[in-house]
Amino acid sequence: MGATLITVSTDTEFTHLAWKRDEKELADVKYLMGSDVNGKVSRLFGVWDEDSGLALRGTFIIAPDGTLFNAEVNFFNMGRNVDELMRKFKANIYLAKKADEGCPSKWKEEGDKTLRPGPEMVGKVHEALND
Amino acid sequence: MSESCETVKMGHSVPDFTLNCYDPKAHDFRPVTLAEQKKAGKWTILFFYPADFTFV
Repeated sequence: MGATLITVSTDTEFTHLAWKRDEKELADVKYLMGSDVNGKVSRLFGVWDEDSGLALRGTFIIAPDGTLFNAEVNFFNMGRNVDELMRKFKANIYLAKKADEGCPSKWKEEGDKTLRPGPEMVGKVHEALND
Repeated sequence: MSESCETVKMGHSVPDFTLNCYDPKAHDFRPVTLAEQKKAGKWTILFFYPADFTFV
């Protein structure tokens, strides 16, 4: 979809290589593995944990023009679900093209019902979603 | 606190950053910047996690 996925931790890029090489779960990994040893980028996105010097499980979607479109931060012990991420990413791509529409909670992919906020919709979201 | 220490806000422009990356496809190391992503017209997904050799 023309996106670049970069995983980021405070490990070095050399440790990333060693982990990728040793961990069979990562055998098929093709995405970039970024190093944020000094925590600069983690701080920029507010996921730096001072006490541990580690990054929280944060996911951020940045548009091609550099705008931050989406942010999700999980605590250390909660893993992320790729389906959840992909739904948000698809919605962000759609809304970047159609800024006057809204993707409701059940929206999954292009073609699904969207909302167009305006005077007619005030108090009529149920009708707009179910018509 | 200098401006560069501030956390980026939703809907705002992300300041440029550089990440030294391991690129498994090329089996090589290279720096990746937000500036080059913008130049290439690409979306960027950053996926932070605490440490290698743990679950993600």
